[in-house]
Amino acid sequence: MKKIEILRIDSLNRSPLIVEGYLFEGCDPTAPSVAIVGAMEGTTILPLYTASKLVDFLKNSLDDEKKLRGNILVIPSINHYALNINERFWPLDKTDINMMFPGYGEGETTQRIAKKLFDALQGYTHGIILETREGVSTCMPYIKLFESGYENIDAAKMFGYRLIHHKTLKPTDTVSLQYNWQLWGTSAYSLICPSDLHVELHTSNEVFEGIISFLGKCGIIDYKVLSGYESTIVKNSDVEVIQTAKSGIFIPTKKIGSYVKKDEIIGKVIHALEGEVIHKILSPCNGLIACAYKNGLILENAVAFRVVKSG
Amino acid sequence: MQTTEIFSSQLPVGEILSIKRGRYEPKQKQANAKRISIVSGTHGDELEGQYVIYLLSKWLKENPDAINGIIDLYPAVNALGIDTITRGFPIYEVDLNRAFPGNKRDFLPGQLVHALAMDIKGSDIAIDIHSSNIFLKEIPQIRINKEFSPSTLPLAKKLNCDFIWIHDAVTVLEATFSHTMNQMGTKTLVVEMGVGMTLTQVYGQQLLSGILNLMKSEGIITTDQEFEQREPFSSEVGDVFYINSPSAGLFVQSIKHCAIIKKGDVIGTIVDPLSGEVRDTLEAPSGGILFTLREFPVVYEGSLIARIFGENDEKN
Repeated sequence: MKKIEILRIDSLNRSPLIVEGYLFEGCDPTAPSVAIVGAMEGTTILPLYTASKLVDFLKNSLDDEKKLRGNILVIPSINHYALNINERFWPLDKTDINMMFPGYGEGETTQRIAKKLFDALQGYTHGIILETREGVSTCMPYIKLFESGYENIDAAKMFGYRLIHHKTLKPTDTVSLQYNWQLWGTSAYSLICPSDLHVELHTSNEVFEGIISFLGKCGIIDYKVLSGYESTIVKNSDVEVIQTAKSGIFIPTKKIGSYVKKDEIIGKVIHALEGEVIHKILSPCNGLIACAYKNGLILENAVAFRVVKSG
Repeated sequence: MQTTEIFSSQLPVGEILSIKRGRYEPKQKQANAKRISIVSGTHGDELEGQYVIYLLSKWLKENPDAINGIIDLYPAVNALGIDTITRGFPIYEVDLNRAFPGNKRDFLPGQLVHALAMDIKGSDIAIDIHSSNIFLKEIPQIRINKEFSPSTLPLAKKLNCDFIWIHDAVTVLEATFSHTMNQMGTKTLVVEMGVGMTLTQVYGQQLLSGILNLMKSEGIITTDQEFEQREPFSSEVGDVFYINSPSAGLFVQSIKHCAIIKKGDVIGTIVDPLSGEVRDTLEAPSGGILFTLREFPVVYEGSLIARIFGENDEKN
């Protein structure tokens, strides 16, 4: 294993930001390779945890060096500055590094970070970006692939997660790492992790095992794994967006990952000052709860749940 | 003036988020009256537009007989952000000017921008007033997407601004208010001026004159008053030069914003307070006008320090 410096940015008063990657060189030059990018945002604990756990696994759990067939680069954290102060974006100007790709070496700070990172990620067969959902929601682990014309759905199934969200491309997605990485010839996948601010072991194991499954099935490592799910491809039209008619204290009564029936109560909203139930949230369809609002206080018309329709 | 709530959301604890529109109309409704919409406060840290809308509303109140068209004012699109010194939409940390066009089933910021776009839909003209951010000071300028410039450039010249910057189409900017409204057929101009979290009164007065001048020329108001119309310089006849910080430190200005400078003039220095050393001295790569200058002194490598508009032949 080699530790390589990906980029370095100095600060007026903080220690320099030094982003490092862990490069594990495989024994088979013909095997596919992969780069894995961890926390680009500061509130993405599971991406950080998963990437660091992967470094530990590759260092200590492959008992024979021949089991490492293709090259693997793991960059656990890009945005230490945000992580260390619990900020979401780049702390000075609040810009999102994942909206700066392919980057620009003569541009603003986060454009330069994106450029140096993007340069280091070139030439890999596969690319995994560990992300969390935008907004105030959390979810079950799934793969997000943009409908860009470059996506590799068959390979995405090798993670074995329940869902692959084949998502309509928005203008703002064209400056994301996934889109640009694909444009430059790497099969890139966004692995959307639950956006908890603590490590919940059951879910984090599910995320981790999906990556190991992918590495094994791709032939990047020689490691036996138990099969996961036969992934369902989900389009935007397969998802029922459930908004809450009232604001107040939000109590989900069904967990993410649960199957629900049409008209089943899946959450309720409590009057924030008087304590009574002012709204019951019913599922409009049979399906699987994939995402839910994550804060205790919910705004009127906010998206409370996303249910993938079934039946 | 009629006040209408164009979007509202009950907040969890005893408060309502309300986005309002103020409308001025002629005393007697006129067929084919033109409609103009003035928008500000999409970013909660940008306040210059609020002042311009105040000045405009005051003028319209004092000159009710001059009104021939419909004038819609939206001073505070990100009302929660403005009152909490937050650039994005609070809670969601979303830049509202990257969330257009949104829809009713979108997340809350997407619902809000959708309501705004639907309310403005049908306007002949829209002006979206921004004030840079807390980092940079800008002279009054219009930003125009080349794709829409045949219809918007003639209007921009009437707005009494100093600079018109015509830029190429960029896919990510399709999520902005101006792109959305231009696509819907409303000729939309973006004004950038001043600096975040501040009111630059002289700029406010300058843009007020421009808006009144534009409205007069479009027949939205009728008045004998004459309004200033500066001859703006245009990016079509020159180049924009960027100066980014080569190092981290404290930026100390050596030159005033809006100055006419020569190639090699010192714009400022990057200093290290602890060691007392100058880390870098920043010189102008071209002569021209210093139309952007950094106000917020803390910089990292890459932080934008200044922009100069210079003649084509000045470029190396």
